[in-house]
Amino acid sequence: MMWLSGGFIFRRGDSFYHRLDPRAKLLNSVLMFVTTLLARSIFEMVLVIVFMVGLSAAATVLKRVARTMAFTALFSGFIFVVNVLFTRDLETSVLYAIRFIAIVVSTSIFFITTSPDELEQVMKMFRLPRDVVFAFVTAVRFIPVMMLDTIQIMDAQKSRGLELEKGNLIRRVRNMIPILIPLVVNSVVRSGELAEAMEARAYGAVPRPTSLLVYRARRADVGVVCAAVVLFAIAAYSFYFVVPVRFP
Amino acid sequence: MADILKVEGLSFRYPDSPKNAVSDFELSIPEGEIVVLAGPSGCGKSTLLRTVNGLIPHMYGGEYSGDVLVAGSSVKRSSMRDLAQTVGFLFQNPENQIFMFSVERDVAFGLENLGVPREEMRARVDEALRLLRIGDLAQRAPHELSDGQKQRVALAGVLAMRPKLVILDEPTSLLDPKTASELVALVARLRKELGTTFVVVEHRLDLLVGVADRLVVMDGGRKVLEGTPRDVLFRDEAEAHGVAVPAVTKVQKLLAGRDAGRAAAGRLLTPSGLASAVEGRQA
Repeated sequence: MMWLSGGFIFRRGDSFYHRLDPRAKLLNSVLMFVTTLLARSIFEMVLVIVFMVGLSAAATVLKRVARTMAFTALFSGFIFVVNVLFTRDLETSVLYAIRFIAIVVSTSIFFITTSPDELEQVMKMFRLPRDVVFAFVTAVRFIPVMMLDTIQIMDAQKSRGLELEKGNLIRRVRNMIPILIPLVVNSVVRSGELAEAMEARAYGAVPRPTSLLVYRARRADVGVVCAAVVLFAIAAYSFYFVVPVRFP
Repeated sequence: MADILKVEGLSFRYPDSPKNAVSDFELSIPEGEIVVLAGPSGCGKSTLLRTVNGLIPHMYGGEYSGDVLVAGSSVKRSSMRDLAQTVGFLFQNPENQIFMFSVERDVAFGLENLGVPREEMRARVDEALRLLRIGDLAQRAPHELSDGQKQRVALAGVLAMRPKLVILDEPTSLLDPKTASELVALVARLRKELGTTFVVVEHRLDLLVGVADRLVVMDGGRKVLEGTPRDVLFRDEAEAHGVAVPAVTKVQKLLAGRDAGRAAAGRLLTPSGLASAVEGRQA
């Protein structure tokens, strides 16, 4: 599970793509997303995927995007089967299955190349209330802390004789209760301490807080955005107005 | 020098609690002192600290009487916003006071909240990082730091707001001995460089006796002893109130019982003091 979920978690990287303005990365992913919706044939869909794979390779995240694809392949297999059963149309079913992978990959590229700091910036850009942005920031900030908490609680309960890997499904789910309760209690205590620390650091003192970091679009960002828009326009035009290209 | 902190007849009782957490408390601290607050767990130290930076009464309800003055103005009548700029509070667990994804962003957190302009913020963040010698950590994420480093980051975030008074709540409880004594040296250095007043709650007194100007012992919500560390620790009541008397002091007390002449060497608190006393006698 951990291995597969890696396809959505940011890790610091240093490629041209990582360094782009988060807004450029967001736009790029949105355009790729829309393109996957416009593609009408397997051939076109494969083209889109090839483009995204190429982009991932350039952004040095190909391995992790491949993980995302492996992970989503499970679901898209399911989508394929259901579609075949209902539509009896093999090509459409394959198209939907690939499209699902493509959609997930387009968003995955955004999330694995955009730091939480940059995500925060994007949220601010959409003028979300400060509290909402801050809630998101702390949620992401405490993911590693909670994971460590969970491991410690599991060890503690196992040393008291809790057998997590035993029994049928219902039993196993029930076994999680002694893990979840201390975890929730810990988190409640933690949130109290966080609230105190926020007060002590003047959270909410002024309606419009300032920001240490500022994102300014550089020439490279503008270039990438232009290229992305042009490519999208070409793809959209050919996918939509030209007769669908199919594999011979 | 003017008192940076003045507690006048303070009593506080939490809602649903039968007895006062703090009772009839009096305390004056002149600017620039390092004051250690000691006492058994549950003696009201944490409550007292929370009345100084205004979490009590602004965040917690309860029965509050008396007054706390910080830099001359009453905590009751000051806003959390103003208090946050005068009183810095380093909580016990550094993990739960680091909010941002990178060290420098977190150090800037308080300043962002106050709406400090970016250029000034940059300068103050860099200054705080330099003071704590953690400039090399500026881009690290919190989960990439050790406990000692987290403690420094949290303290940098507090100092960036340039408080006159800094409260440290058991700052060494999560630190190994070496990191703990580094933190104490840091407090002494900051007092010297910035003139900041420190109120430190600490159980490991042997670490702090060398730098503290004053030791206040609490028990049952009341102040039971106050004076220079030397005065307080050589009183017999100190141990009765659960104060961890440094081993050097204990040794000397034992010797004094057997040979009155040895006590004349002066009252010792630190290993280095003991060493030079022994050397002096041999010479």
